[in-house]
Amino acid sequence: MSETTFMGVPREKIPWYPTIDYDKCNFCMECDAFCPHQVYEHREGDRKLVVANPNNCVVFCRACGKTCGPDAISFPVKSEILTLIKNLRTEELVG
Amino acid sequence: MKRAILSCSGMDKQMGSLARELAIRLNEKTGDEVVCPTLLASLPARYEELLKAASLVVIDGCGTRCASKLANKYNAKVEKKILVSEAARELGIDPESGLTPGPNGLKLVEQLLRDVERDLSEETTPGNSVMELAPPEDFLIVTHDKYQFKIPKEGFLFNENDSWVRPVGDKARVGVSDYVQQKLTDITYFEPPALNANVEQFGELGTIESTKSLLEIVAPVAGKVTAMNMELTDNPGLINEDPYGSGWIAEMEMSDLASDTELLLDGEAYAEVVKRKAAEDAG
Ligand code: SF4
Ligand code: SF4
Repeated sequence: MSETTFMGVPREKIPWYPTIDYDKCNFCMECDAFCPHQVYEHREGDRKLVVANPNNCVVFCRACGKTCGPDAISFPVKSEILTLIKNLRTEELVG
Repeated sequence: MKRAILSCSGMDKQMGSLARELAIRLNEKTGDEVVCPTLLASLPARYEELLKAASLVVIDGCGTRCASKLANKYNAKVEKKILVSEAARELGIDPESGLTPGPNGLKLVEQLLRDVERDLSEETTPGNSVMELAPPEDFLIVTHDKYQFKIPKEGFLFNENDSWVRPVGDKARVGVSDYVQQKLTDITYFEPPALNANVEQFGELGTIESTKSLLEIVAPVAGKVTAMNMELTDNPGLINEDPYGSGWIAEMEMSDLASDTELLLDGEAYAEVVKRKAAEDAG
């Protein structure tokens, strides 16, 4: 159901997804309501929200982070991920 | 055009209380009417005429962006937006917690007040648009259910994040695709990238807000922003009407198109991506 490659690289090899800072999160669930890709899921217990399907996250999207009131969502550094993708592409082509 | 100010009520978090403080000070300086967000939400008729006649300065405290959502809900025209939490991060100011603004909070408000006043008084410099481009004529059409997505056949390259680039020599125009504008639905606000900013490939080229969603524009190429489409400030709906023509986003001086091309798609390849995305959207 989710995209399986990004620019020819298998999606699961690209570590791009949101990380929730549970010291800041107030479980308003705005991010989950916003994201159309079922990245987040609700849970019982202390952590009522988790990043359940990180590979559903659209590589380089950061949109839900902008909807978070307490600024609890962070993403990797784009340039680092870009370098990684380029390296993986070379490997795919060679391999 | 007449101007009015709509801010966060400031009763929930410290960033909100600073948004409120900024609204009050802006009103004292400019005399522009302040719209009370709770009154607007409970009795919209009170502001009906004002919202028809005025364009808004919208001040949100945090990413929940209640003031923006209210502006959207009542179809208000937005001239300028400020997000206090983001500005605090950018300026490296850490406001005190609590609803009464402390010294750091007030410092932030003072700084933002100066910035907003400057932005509102100056015509934002759009940069010099140097490109005269005829709109594309030949399109690939991807059809999905009742939707049709157009993709120019030639002269455009795309990234998987639905941005396009139309290179001419070492200059280029950039924008977003027909697919993504349809997905966003009615676009209500365009936050342009900074003029002269150097942007990496896949870096941020401003944001687009619609009644339904929010999109960070992901730069298709690396380079310097040399001009932006100021028509969009008054009429962001141009992105809906003509995403590959008059709804362009910015002009750039590219730093290395040859290397960026490695991670770009031509029209045919992007059409495949749109097919896949449209199928996923449908579930
Ligand atoms: S939007 Fe932010 S605060 Fe709300 S649930 Fe998501 S991470 Fe937590
Ligand atoms: S970054 Fe985008 S795709 Fe990823 S979880 Fe957030 S909204 Fe969803």
